[in-house]
Amino acid sequence: MHTGSELEEIWIQESPQSMSNLIEVRNLTLTVPTSKGRASVVENLTFSIQQGEKLGLVGESGSGKSLTAYSLMRLIKAPVRIESGEILINGVDVLKLTEEEFRKYRGSEIAMIYQDPMSALNPIMKIGDQIIESILLHKKISKKEALKIAIALLESVGIPEPEERVHSYPFEMSGGMLQRVVIAIALSGEPKVLIADEATTALDVTTQERVLNLLNRLAEERNLSVLLITHDLGVAAQFSDRINVMYGGRLVEQGRTRDVFTLPQHPYTRALLDSRCDYTVDVNKPIRSIAGQPPRPDNRPSGCVFAPRCEHVEAACISSIPELRDIDDRAVACIRAEELKSVKN
Amino acid sequence: MPSTIIKVQNLSRAFKGSGGSVLALDSISISLQEGKTLAVVGESGSGKTTAARLILGLDKPTAGSISVLGQEITDFGPSQMRPLRREIQVVQQDPFSQLNRRHTVRRIIEGPMLAFKVGDRKSREKRVIELIEAVGLQQEHLTRKPHELSGGQCQRVAIARALALDPKILILDEAVSALDVSVRAQVLNLLKKLQKERGLTYLFITHDLGVAHYMADEIVVMFRGRIVERGTREEVFQMPRHHYTAGLLASVPVANFSTDKIVQKISQDVIVQATPDKTDACAYRSRCQFGRDKKDCSERALTETMASATHGWICHFPIER
Amino acid sequence: MSICLLCPWIAPYDPYEIGASEPFLGPSRSNWFGTDDLGRDLLSRILYGGRITILVALAATVIALVIGTAWGLAAGVRRGWLDEALMRTADATMAIPQVLFGLVCISAVGASVISLPIVVGVLLSPTTARMARSAVVTELSSQYVVAAQASGFTRTRLIWSEVMPNIAPQLLVQLSINAAAAVMLEATLSFIGLGIQPPNASWGTLMLQGYAKIWNTYWFVTFPALAVTITILAFNAYGERIRRNLDSRKSTINE
Repeated sequence: MHTGSELEEIWIQESPQSMSNLIEVRNLTLTVPTSKGRASVVENLTFSIQQGEKLGLVGESGSGKSLTAYSLMRLIKAPVRIESGEILINGVDVLKLTEEEFRKYRGSEIAMIYQDPMSALNPIMKIGDQIIESILLHKKISKKEALKIAIALLESVGIPEPEERVHSYPFEMSGGMLQRVVIAIALSGEPKVLIADEATTALDVTTQERVLNLLNRLAEERNLSVLLITHDLGVAAQFSDRINVMYGGRLVEQGRTRDVFTLPQHPYTRALLDSRCDYTVDVNKPIRSIAGQPPRPDNRPSGCVFAPRCEHVEAACISSIPELRDIDDRAVACIRAEELKSVKN
Repeated sequence: MPSTIIKVQNLSRAFKGSGGSVLALDSISISLQEGKTLAVVGESGSGKTTAARLILGLDKPTAGSISVLGQEITDFGPSQMRPLRREIQVVQQDPFSQLNRRHTVRRIIEGPMLAFKVGDRKSREKRVIELIEAVGLQQEHLTRKPHELSGGQCQRVAIARALALDPKILILDEAVSALDVSVRAQVLNLLKKLQKERGLTYLFITHDLGVAHYMADEIVVMFRGRIVERGTREEVFQMPRHHYTAGLLASVPVANFSTDKIVQKISQDVIVQATPDKTDACAYRSRCQFGRDKKDCSERALTETMASATHGWICHFPIER
Repeated sequence: MSICLLCPWIAPYDPYEIGASEPFLGPSRSNWFGTDDLGRDLLSRILYGGRITILVALAATVIALVIGTAWGLAAGVRRGWLDEALMRTADATMAIPQVLFGLVCISAVGASVISLPIVVGVLLSPTTARMARSAVVTELSSQYVVAAQASGFTRTRLIWSEVMPNIAPQLLVQLSINAAAAVMLEATLSFIGLGIQPPNASWGTLMLQGYAKIWNTYWFVTFPALAVTITILAFNAYGERIRRNLDSRKSTINE
């Protein structure tokens, strides 16, 4: 997503590493079958991931954020279908590749880690072997050499005594450690982008902090791009440089995390931030919640997908779908974005 | 003068494991006043769920005592516990699996009334309607089954069920943890409203400090079966004395760029996975930056220090204030 | 497949004619399936025999269900040493070859329309028991059970009104599997002469009678065998259909 040149300047100052669009998603639409025919669960999604950047993708259930991640890895299975759009990795539209051709991308260009490390690992295989298995998928080297790399990887993800740990089984390790092992496996192919889908949600808060610190360090050391998908606003705020807010399958706001969270412009982003419950919230007032429910696929609103629940809704909001447009330092999908800037919720 | 509605003293629960017995709860004491909310904060392995089950009478302790509404339930069997069940109910974490997937919402809410054979068909139906509306849902939801509802709606049904017998105490075991941010707000508002209207007492078990802060009058922080710190909301959040509490507060990511974090960020980047030493006097020693190498922390037994009537902790080298 | 199951009941009962036609006739227009050594119409004998086979099979299945469920529930609810004892017994029972076991039992009590379902039912109950036990154990660890306990449900009431509805679909599937097995067992036992005795005939008995003369009068054996096979397949298919319905109902379209 190209933003103002002013912003580009700031980015270049902040990060000396090269800035290039590693991944570009253009007008991605995914559908599912419903009683009323196929309906969108992700609609016209457009965003990009730069090299070395930490991008947050925030949304609640039904926002389509996980499906987006799966699309990037081409792991979408029936009944969900990629209806239209392009996903460009290094300029190549990977949606047009065959499975064979794309397989080279998985692991070596783009890798993914998930919420539950326990189910991502083979319970009857030593973790060292699992890492080696992954390394050998991408490199033609001997097992001995792969073992050395595996130990090095374990060390880089902060696991103490890696030479011993290589021989451990998953059940011998805690959740936080396992997630680190999963990260090690993901890194074994030396990908340029790591997608973390709710990767810290199942972890204790102290472990979560450590894992996020690890991801941060890895991003910096290896110029690795991280797409962090989460419903936890705090995690997104702390970790990501830029943020995408999704609702009902659409991207509603996009910009630098600090900007979006300090001065949210889309009514959904504002409502979402208002409904937070962290220890800075005033305990004597009820928390401002959003009335209603997120849209079900078989019942998508016409026009703006947030209109039925929006405080500032107008006739024009229902008649046409607002497109993502650039305003100041970010992109917002709301026709009333400018006028609402001064209005308090 | 509000009465003590739950009193737990030196409660312990040991489980027989492969490597000997494990103390899930190590001599904890809690006192909950009528109409108030006590938050039990802890991560996995802290023993908070074990404590909830014991207080609910669904498990027997290996040591210590529990009294609920003036009755000593420590040695109660199922039939003795039964009458008390009308007064103390539970709302659990998973919105869907805590409701019987084969039953309609109506039958779910009616459940407790059927268990105690309360009233007749007509009066029960009336009560069900009263309850469903009290939790913000409509009568049309009564004929649905859990899988036809959203997570937030299911949780509301669970709350309605918990209120069916007009209990005095509600135990909320991670009741909002599985909900989306905006839905969580709705349910927390609902819980607060119900508490005010009906004078309920809440035991709120959570790992989420933000939720604990919002809901609770008093907080108890648990770590490996022990209460490491207790106090009012202000005391715990603004003046934590135990290193674990401070570490927890520092770890919580907050999406608020305008305020400085209330607690100074204490570097927690100690050993990733220190294997806890069961012989340590302080269970937190192996993770503690301060106590790691101190002899006292591994050998000298801990006793609770109270700074005020409400604020207490167990630590040999608490944070200076 | 349902047609096949219902056939012996619905199809008009041809009278149990003996000696109505020439013996050993091949399939012809007057006797669709031919005749047996006493000139009895084979088709009607098969239909009549089917009634017996299926009756015995269903009776055995119900018996297996009742015994097996009680067995499994007792073990799963009580746990502890009772659980161990009951399940080891189940394992032991399953380890014995079924036909052999049936053979021994029938020899002891004598073959009849009463003893056969009971013996077959007992033979089939261990599998049901194991299934019932694991189902009950899974359900008992669910949050809705904790909620019901906290709501004041007594244990019996809990099992009956909360847990059973959730186990029922799996038991139903087990029912159809057992039915298929029961048909097979009954046919086998009758075939070796320890099942239904003449002049009553089940499919197994018919096969026994026809077996000796298989080369000349092929139809004698073939048709009953075919009937057995189709029925077994029908029961299995039925069970498969139930299982698929079960699965689709449980999973909702979540993200």
